[in-house]
Amino acid sequence: MKPKVGFYELTGCAGEMLHILNMEDILIDVFSKIDLVEFRIASSVKRPERVDIAFVEGSVTTEENLEALKSIREKSDVLVAIGDCAVWGGIQASTTGEDWKTLMKEVYGVEENYFRFLGEHKSLSECVKVDYELPGCPIEQDEFVRLFIELLEGIEPKIKDYPVCVECKIREIPCLIVEKREPCLGPISVGGCKARCPYYGTPCIGCRGPVREEANVAGEISTLVEKGWRKEDIVKRMELFAKRYKDIEKLVEVKK
Amino acid sequence: MREILVEHLARVEGHGNIRVVVDKENVREVKMEILEGPRFIEKILVGRSIDEAPDIVARICSICPDPHSVACVNAIEKAIGFRPSEQTRVLRELQLISDVISSHALHLFLLALPDFLGYPDAISMVSKYGKEVALGLKVKKAGNVIKEVLTGRSVHGCTVKPGGYTRVPTQEELEKLEKSLAEAMDGARLAVDLFASFDLPEIFREENMFMAVDPGEVYGFSGEHILISNGERRPVENYRLLTNERVVPHSTAKHSYYQGESFMVGALARILLNRGKLKGEAVELADRIWEKLDPKNPLANNLAQALELVYSVERAIELIEWLLDHGIGEPRGEMKIKAGMGVAAVEAPRGILYHFYEVDGEGKIARADIVTPTAQNAANIEKYLRISAQRLLERGVDNLEPHLEMLVRAYDPCISCSAHLVRVVRLNE
Repeated sequence: MKPKVGFYELTGCAGEMLHILNMEDILIDVFSKIDLVEFRIASSVKRPERVDIAFVEGSVTTEENLEALKSIREKSDVLVAIGDCAVWGGIQASTTGEDWKTLMKEVYGVEENYFRFLGEHKSLSECVKVDYELPGCPIEQDEFVRLFIELLEGIEPKIKDYPVCVECKIREIPCLIVEKREPCLGPISVGGCKARCPYYGTPCIGCRGPVREEANVAGEISTLVEKGWRKEDIVKRMELFAKRYKDIEKLVEVKK
Repeated sequence: MREILVEHLARVEGHGNIRVVVDKENVREVKMEILEGPRFIEKILVGRSIDEAPDIVARICSICPDPHSVACVNAIEKAIGFRPSEQTRVLRELQLISDVISSHALHLFLLALPDFLGYPDAISMVSKYGKEVALGLKVKKAGNVIKEVLTGRSVHGCTVKPGGYTRVPTQEELEKLEKSLAEAMDGARLAVDLFASFDLPEIFREENMFMAVDPGEVYGFSGEHILISNGERRPVENYRLLTNERVVPHSTAKHSYYQGESFMVGALARILLNRGKLKGEAVELADRIWEKLDPKNPLANNLAQALELVYSVERAIELIEWLLDHGIGEPRGEMKIKAGMGVAAVEAPRGILYHFYEVDGEGKIARADIVTPTAQNAANIEKYLRISAQRLLERGVDNLEPHLEMLVRAYDPCISCSAHLVRVVRLNE
């Protein structure tokens, strides 16, 4: 019997779902392996039954999101958070700490909470037990496929926790911090993207979130500071994708 | 009195409902409810550098990150008084076209076609319509590989900056793109044949108004003026007047009206207003299918998208040849930062997208304002929902839902886009 799999969206841009649909060469093969229970952007199928695996993207932003997430958790054996919104709350969570009524007034012209907004944008793990997290804005297609196969085959997935710098060095990309004095977040951002942005000539913006083990942080962070970037600017850049990570400041403190 | 609620509006981007209240004979109320949460994107932009802005706005929507990032850098450059190189302008047109190709292919083959063939999704169609799905995916991929080459990936590219790009494609990469585009032509033609073969239900017919960017001499997806089907032509700086918004309590998307009337943006509007600017195979195809492109029927938007698919694949090849002929120069120009304000309009696959920025003297965003195509279409969608629901009732049709869903889907709405950018909400007016 094929495993039952559901794909669910909370608040975000549907980027994870679309990046999965963008795997044109293997799309049909991937979906032939499963019994699809829900995937709103691509299918009218919606079945309320239990699922073996739930992939959930988006932040928990509204009461409706929270209710949906709780009900997904209840009916899923394995729940996977996919993408930066689900793992860290997404760029919308960079407003964490600001008064939401003021934001509402400034952006929408009203203070009434008719969105049923929770007041902040939470990651999934702040609300329910999450079994695995796949970071990125968007997720990497190859990482998704690997995790998908591992879950289907019952292999315990390995979680990456080394900085983007490692992949930059493997690809022999000249260091943007050293060579160009660019504010690259590679030293403190978790790898897995094959250093895409540096390869394309632009500094890492931290879209995969922070490296969690301080010991794994790359020494280039001190070069960044030596090159004249202020710690608060580095922190502000990192906060765009991971403000809900409590220890960003600590990451920047690491010297060697 | 009964209420019809299409609660799981599937095969569209984002989260919305259709709510229709009817009594025995009449439609009392129609709402397209937008259920996306607020993301405060315009607020997040404030205080960020102009280099960060295109990366942030791309994240508004995964289906149209490219129109968002291109509109963003175009508007920022106007604000600081920078004129991009011809190479950059060609690359941006190619980037906009890549989004049209992948988005239209996604919508036509994966989201809309299942309606016409009676399936829940494209995956279920494979056993009977394997060829169609395979060709559709090939077209979709041809758009996505352009995005990968130009911007680094198919969702939220990373190379788009004020001044140009951080990396430009190599000759070898461009030649590869040309090849994959040539292979996509059959799929694009198939989309025209398929959607020209479907008869559109009469119940959706009604007079309509259209708006599209005036691309200049050649059919395209950016420009400095807006064409309106009433014969007017206005500069993009008039965007507030053109999208005069009223905000309604049931939706987080603002509704646009022009001179008191709702209007439609998107492929059908572009084809109707800019037909004479088409080139190549699309000209003959347009002649052949013209009477099927019914201005009164929003469902004709599907066929208009198919026609644009053929045009876009050919036009992308032409732009790549231009790049190959002229050789690839510097990726990014030198900019001088000065304070200023700028507006830009581009055509996203689903219609006109406006970006406005005020930039301060340090190169930071002081103010941002974005008006999305789905927000502009929202009032028009409700107009047609109301008319068609009423006609269905009069004909004794009991199951309204599939008809109404099909109508909404024809606009190819992007609900994430529309929802996150409501600016003025006045509930009590």
